Amino acid sequence: MTQLALQHYLAVGAILFAIGLIGFMTRRNLIVMFLCTELMFQGVAINLIAFGRFWGNLAGQAFVIFVLVIAAAEASLALGLVVLLFRQRNTLDADAWRDLKG
Amino acid sequence: MLGLLSSPALAAVIVTPPGDSSLPAMTVGAPNPLIAPGLLFILAVAAAVGIILLLPSRREAPLCKIGAAVLAAAVLILAIVLGKSAAGAGVGVYFWIFAAIAVIGATRVVTHPRPVYSALYFVLTVMASAGLFVLMWAEFMAAALILIYGGAILVTYVFVIMLAAEAAPAGGQKMHEQLAEHDAVSREPVIASAVGFALLGILLFVIFDRSGEIRREDAGGAAAVTAAAKVAATTAPAVATTGFHPVGGTQALGDFLFRRQLVNLELAGLILTVAMAGAIVIARKRVVGWRPLEEIEMVSTPAIGIDDNPHSIPVTGTDNPRQKEYPET
Repeated sequence: MTQLALQHYLAVGAILFAIGLIGFMTRRNLIVMFLCTELMFQGVAINLIAFGRFWGNLAGQAFVIFVLVIAAAEASLALGLVVLLFRQRNTLDADAWRDLKG
Repeated sequence: MLGLLSSPALAAVIVTPPGDSSLPAMTVGAPNPLIAPGLLFILAVAAAVGIILLLPSRREAPLCKIGAAVLAAAVLILAIVLGKSAAGAGVGVYFWIFAAIAVIGATRVVTHPRPVYSALYFVLTVMASAGLFVLMWAEFMAAALILIYGGAILVTYVFVIMLAAEAAPAGGQKMHEQLAEHDAVSREPVIASAVGFALLGILLFVIFDRSGEIRREDAGGAAAVTAAAKVAATTAPAVATTGFHPVGGTQALGDFLFRRQLVNLELAGLILTVAMAGAIVIARKRVVGWRPLEEIEMVSTPAIGIDDNPHSIPVTGTDNPRQKEYPET
């Protein structure tokens, strides 16, 4: 992989990350907010694999495996929390928990 | 953004001529911008405007279409500039297809007002990233991505979306009247888009202008470390010691993981187990007032009543009037 190709892959990863960030900040549905964090994970994974390919070793792919593990753990915990919060207020609106701010 | 604004190349909102950038950037010492920072800035602003119009709100449909057009135009211009100046970069037509699908899917994840559709578009993005992984010779990671994300995580998301189904408001004809308020209206779209696209602009600026620092030892030579050479390099000790001969990237990855990253791999398994237990504990439904039958029958009050009230402990010589009430012995 040439440096030029690396730049292309990095650009795609950056775009995915930025879109996920925007979604996390704007959407008010808890489930969609966590989907947007997964989108950010995707961008990071593309970056890691591209760098691993660029340097010609396997560390990037090993990193992505651990990113996937963390993403899976985070998804299970976060969705459990979402179910819990939904039972409390009977809504998925993140603004329903506005009184938690300090 | 300040970096972009103060850049001397802001005045030149023109694409760098293909003749300059057809040289591989790594052979040139000075940074050789693929895309002018000014153009990048304008594209970021246009894309921000487009995504502000696209985000769910109680807006009329034509405005959303305008936003989609602006966003698509910005992405298209970026792709054309990159594609023109990077002809022969080693990215084939499949890269462009998968990248386009990934970006479009990600945009729809963020902008679609219904969570179920967001989840489905996320599957599309995952598939496209898996395609990109395959293009980078990471077949195992592509398969794992589809299995874990497209399979496990997305099924969990869809389950939770169904579990946490809210009462829909009395529906009108238009789509945003059938949705709950927090799905139909987004929060601070202008600020969020400004922050997000400022970050994206800076990231792209660094990637395309300042990546001259990233230089490989074989820079300028034959660009690609071929997959075969990579496998041979990483697994030569394995062959010497065990006679085991990996033939593909997946086997090389397994060899790498279980030889060099064994502790990390076990830790990852531990994290998954802990997360599973934690998720069960968190989402468990607590039934108030329910006790097992045998507990009710077996446990009785102690025969000798124990007074465990701290105030009933007699204290001599205290000034506390509550404790004075008790007899001093």
